[in-house]
Amino acid sequence: MPARSQGEKSGQSDAEQAAQVQRDHLAIGRLADDLLPALIAKLAASGLGEIEVRQGEWKARLRKPATAPEARTAKAAPESHGHSPSRSSGHGRTDAGHSTGDESETEPGPITANSPAVGIFNPRRDLVVGMRVRSGDKIGTVDVLGVNQDVVAPVEGIIGSSLVEAGEAVEYGQQLVRIELPEAAPVLAGGSADAGKSVAATTGKA
Amino acid sequence: MFNKILIANRGEIALRILRACRTMGVGAVVAYSEADRDSLAAQLADEAICIGPADARRSYLSAPAIISAAIVTGCDAIHPGYGFLSEDPGFAEVVRAHGLTFIGPPAEVLERFASKEATRRLLGDHGLPTIPGSGMLRDEAHALEEAERIGYPVLLKPSAGGGGKGMRLVRNPRELEAGFKVSGSEAKAGFGDGSLYLEKYLEDNRHVEVQVAIDRFGNAIHMGERDCSVQRRHQKLIEETPSPALTDAARWELADRAVKAVAEAGYENLGTLEFLVDAKGDAYFIEINCRVQVEHPITEMVTGIDMLALQIRIAAGEPLGMTQADVQARGHAIEFRILAEDPAKDFRPQAGQVGAFIAPGGPGVRMDSHLYPGYEVPNDYDSLLGKLSIWAPTRSEAIARADAALRELLVDGVTTNIELHRAILANQVFIDGKVTTNLLDRVGSAPFVAASNR
Repeated sequence: MPARSQGEKSGQSDAEQAAQVQRDHLAIGRLADDLLPALIAKLAASGLGEIEVRQGEWKARLRKPATAPEARTAKAAPESHGHSPSRSSGHGRTDAGHSTGDESETEPGPITANSPAVGIFNPRRDLVVGMRVRSGDKIGTVDVLGVNQDVVAPVEGIIGSSLVEAGEAVEYGQQLVRIELPEAAPVLAGGSADAGKSVAATTGKA
Repeated sequence: MFNKILIANRGEIALRILRACRTMGVGAVVAYSEADRDSLAAQLADEAICIGPADARRSYLSAPAIISAAIVTGCDAIHPGYGFLSEDPGFAEVVRAHGLTFIGPPAEVLERFASKEATRRLLGDHGLPTIPGSGMLRDEAHALEEAERIGYPVLLKPSAGGGGKGMRLVRNPRELEAGFKVSGSEAKAGFGDGSLYLEKYLEDNRHVEVQVAIDRFGNAIHMGERDCSVQRRHQKLIEETPSPALTDAARWELADRAVKAVAEAGYENLGTLEFLVDAKGDAYFIEINCRVQVEHPITEMVTGIDMLALQIRIAAGEPLGMTQADVQARGHAIEFRILAEDPAKDFRPQAGQVGAFIAPGGPGVRMDSHLYPGYEVPNDYDSLLGKLSIWAPTRSEAIARADAALRELLVDGVTTNIELHRAILANQVFIDGKVTTNLLDRVGSAPFVAASNR
């Protein structure tokens, strides 16, 4: 997953904006090449859940997936589907570290959230097409003998079409909901001089 | 009868259960792990459902995954096959608690027969001979006295510990005197408890097992016995019935005693009572298997009984529908376990993709296998690729048919023990029907491997 800015536009002129975009790109590239791999290694080696580093006007925050079981689930499901191009949250984190910050990383093909178990699928009540999710976000549950197991987004992206109906029986590893990868370029262009913008290399839960 | 059965197993036994369901007109759903997505049972089934990843703990050993799969597919019963959860009283109980039927003994029956030690005592009380032994030995004089009563050779065993640690084989009083103090202090040092006891050592024993079926009304039959003495490190390789170790009279007497004892003790469903038979032909009960056995086809071949169908009917609460007089055994049957193991490399399990696969045919030839050309043998489970079972009117004819069938059997791409089977068939000890459970381990497989490379 590409590292990308999540800053907001704030009424600048086109020229200013273009210059800012260029600066942002350079900064992101530098961060991705130098800082992120080191930070990721540090985070992985530590027992910490989150690391935040400030550098100039930039701030990078890295978060581990919310809970270990979730991470395992998200990881097992895509691996199990040999033909599924979706990636695990664990891999997502690694990819972010090696990303150069541009859109060339974006993988083609559908990515799906898959069932962690055999049971009855129920999407999160507020789940709608077009909704933005981060990797590890819960998008629904599979009821296994009355015990709910979380269905999580394997990558950051936008909720696409559902492949099964609510209340339908699903098997282990079954593809449930499409996750569309967001267009990388417009998001990257969103940098601004405002304080508090960050490079989200996180794969954790929002 | 059931409406639909969830088959919670894999490999050849999943296929065997599927076949039984189809012949009975019962629906079936094959539950498979991701490693078995392309398995033959999953492909042949009208319905199949993935229950988890390759790791059996999260698929074939996961009670929630299996029961959930049964519920969402509308099954009313679960067949556990053999291994995995097939003898787990807890699983049987949870299955029942979810309103489903466990195809096997009821949970409380599995519970009653769960401990080997308690089962030996229970069936001993119901008249089955168990391996003679002493109580705790007070001193050397007591040990000598008890050994004399049991008869040499005896095993001197520490009361504490386990796994054969501190065990000593003693062949005469002199060895017992020499070993008693050493074993005692070893046990004291090793387990903090120096107490010892004696158990009769059955040298050159045979493994003979009795097949029984008992319905919930207490109707009980046996289907004769099987001889499973061709073993390697306690793993059965070749099984046959009738046992060449016993006379006809002795076989039927043993089977009669076995079924009577286990029925009195409250057993239900299919079961197998295992015995060690010594050189004199005396049988000692060792344990019971509360499930269908891998080697059930040879019993089916000589009796003509579909044991899986019988098992399913018993679990559904139906009466046996036959009496002992209806059970007639004809001819001789031998089963060969075809394993993905390399005899030349210490029987290491093999994985890989099957190229060509040719199953043998001809009179009295039966192949139970989940192989097909292109099948990828996963390395997540046991190495059983299939079972070749042969029937003929006599043992010698069965051996001749078996050799012809083994020559036809072709499994390309994966190293198997097919040639080892042919070498064993050609061995005089096997031809004479004198194989004991320790033979392969004692002489080693090297002579057989060498012979099979001719």
